[in-house]
Amino acid sequence: MKTAVESEGRSRSIRLWITSGPGLFWIVMFLLIPSAVLLGIGFFSADDYGSPILPLSLQPFQQVAGFSLLGWDDGNILIFLRSLEQAGTATIVSALLSYPIVFFIMTRDASIRPLLLLFIVLPSWTNQVVRTYAWLELLGPNAPVSWLAHWLGIVPPDLGIAPGSFAVTTGLAYNYLPYMIVPLYASAEKLDWTLVEAGRDLYASGFKLFWHTVFPQTVPGLLSGVIFVAIPAFGDYVVPQLLGGDRALMIGSLIANQFTETPDWPYGAALTIIMLVFTGAGLVAFRVLTRKLGGSGEATI
Amino acid sequence: MSNVVPQRMRAVLAGISWPVYVLLYTPLALVAYFSFAPAPNAMGHSTYAYGVLFHDGQVFVALQRSLILAVCSATMSTCLGTLLGYGLCRFRKPNARGFAANIPSLVIYTPIIMPSLVFGISELIFFNFVHSYTGLLGAGLVTMVIAHITFQVPYVALTVFARLSGLDPNLFEASHDLYADGLKSFFYLIVPVVQPAIIGGFLLGITLSIDDFTISFFTAGPGSVTLPIYIYSAIAKKGISPEINALGTLMIVTVIVLALAHFFITRRRDRASQLPV
Repeated sequence: MKTAVESEGRSRSIRLWITSGPGLFWIVMFLLIPSAVLLGIGFFSADDYGSPILPLSLQPFQQVAGFSLLGWDDGNILIFLRSLEQAGTATIVSALLSYPIVFFIMTRDASIRPLLLLFIVLPSWTNQVVRTYAWLELLGPNAPVSWLAHWLGIVPPDLGIAPGSFAVTTGLAYNYLPYMIVPLYASAEKLDWTLVEAGRDLYASGFKLFWHTVFPQTVPGLLSGVIFVAIPAFGDYVVPQLLGGDRALMIGSLIANQFTETPDWPYGAALTIIMLVFTGAGLVAFRVLTRKLGGSGEATI
Repeated sequence: MSNVVPQRMRAVLAGISWPVYVLLYTPLALVAYFSFAPAPNAMGHSTYAYGVLFHDGQVFVALQRSLILAVCSATMSTCLGTLLGYGLCRFRKPNARGFAANIPSLVIYTPIIMPSLVFGISELIFFNFVHSYTGLLGAGLVTMVIAHITFQVPYVALTVFARLSGLDPNLFEASHDLYADGLKSFFYLIVPVVQPAIIGGFLLGITLSIDDFTISFFTAGPGSVTLPIYIYSAIAKKGISPEINALGTLMIVTVIVLALAHFFITRRRDRASQLPV
């Protein structure tokens, strides 16, 4: 005999499956299974057309490490390091810019704060291709900024700042700055200002006051911002493609090439696996860090 | 509250922030500026590029495809996402622990966390396999709609979930006491209450769809060039031209106008609803 609680529980889970089943099924069907297939391909051999064939092999990973018929080559490792460096710099730049901007907005009149925040987010709602190639107008070979750089001897004549790695860093920071500002703003809004006053009463001032009263309270926002910026910046495709050219190849373009221009699916899949391992390790590290620093309490499903 | 920040500090904050605001809009403004390039064999600024653009049939077809893609995918993802957010908020066992209870969250967060390049390539390979084995789902507008739905559903679900979890649970009890069954309470309680979140989710879906390039690029077929793909391949082939700048300007202006309109309309509505009755 079933108890009322049991049948209540069963009808509850049936309703759960009816309502959330289709959405979850959709994501599993059209994202989880495809990405599992992609990761699986990394363990196959490649035929002459770059398609995966049996037998299973670890050769794609050797290719990732830089081994080929011609011997070892440090190209891939350089590309990985460059991607880490680009994503890291973009993240640091946007974090450093975000603090002044967030507190600039916070100290304004409450009625214009939403508008100021909107103007930060607005550019990121335009299409990524448009807002990225827009930087070519500013940093391209014929732009005034490039003449200046040329005159200062930073870039050779007839070449712009873009394409190049400085342009990529700028483009990445520009693209992902709002993703840092929004979570930081959310945690700054909840800031307990009495702590800051207490710090002031204890004669702390300037950087010390900020570091001991404001900063610890905004760490959760900062850490989610770091995740929102670093992960997409690391694997970005559009920015290095449009602003980097051949001089600043990043992991994203390298992966994409294995599926478009010179197909080698297993190699591309192996590169993807390594990239996801990096991303996942970063995520886990930050999750641990956030928990240690006591950052939680966002509304999560 | 924030009056703790001294005047001198506020000046420093403003001194850093205003230049960033200017820098955020400089590239976009330059796109607009260069779109008014002079006509061939002429001097001064002109709207020549816009004239060329409006007579370009390819652009209109691409625009049409972008709009179809955005509206279709946002509609579907709003339906799926609303149900998903509603179900997870209402019917999940409270305080459930363990791996199995966390599966829905994991599934929902994957599309958000996954780098869009990996997302796009996964879809490319999957649709490629499906097509070569069954002959269905050749790369084109349909595969793009499917991919766009996939990345929009979690955002809609999170929006709806956030709205519902802020509600007083007694509302559900009350509707139950008034003999509303599941369906009735869904249509007479949930839908009206969650309506702003549903509309917000739909608009978010449209924005995400229009903003996306990478996932579209890898799921598109030869006959499904949308506006961003058109711009990208035009730049890759011929570099930036006044026509591309004109097209970019129109896209930027559309987004800014729509966003500002949405902002001021919702703000007025919020204010109106705060008035004491």
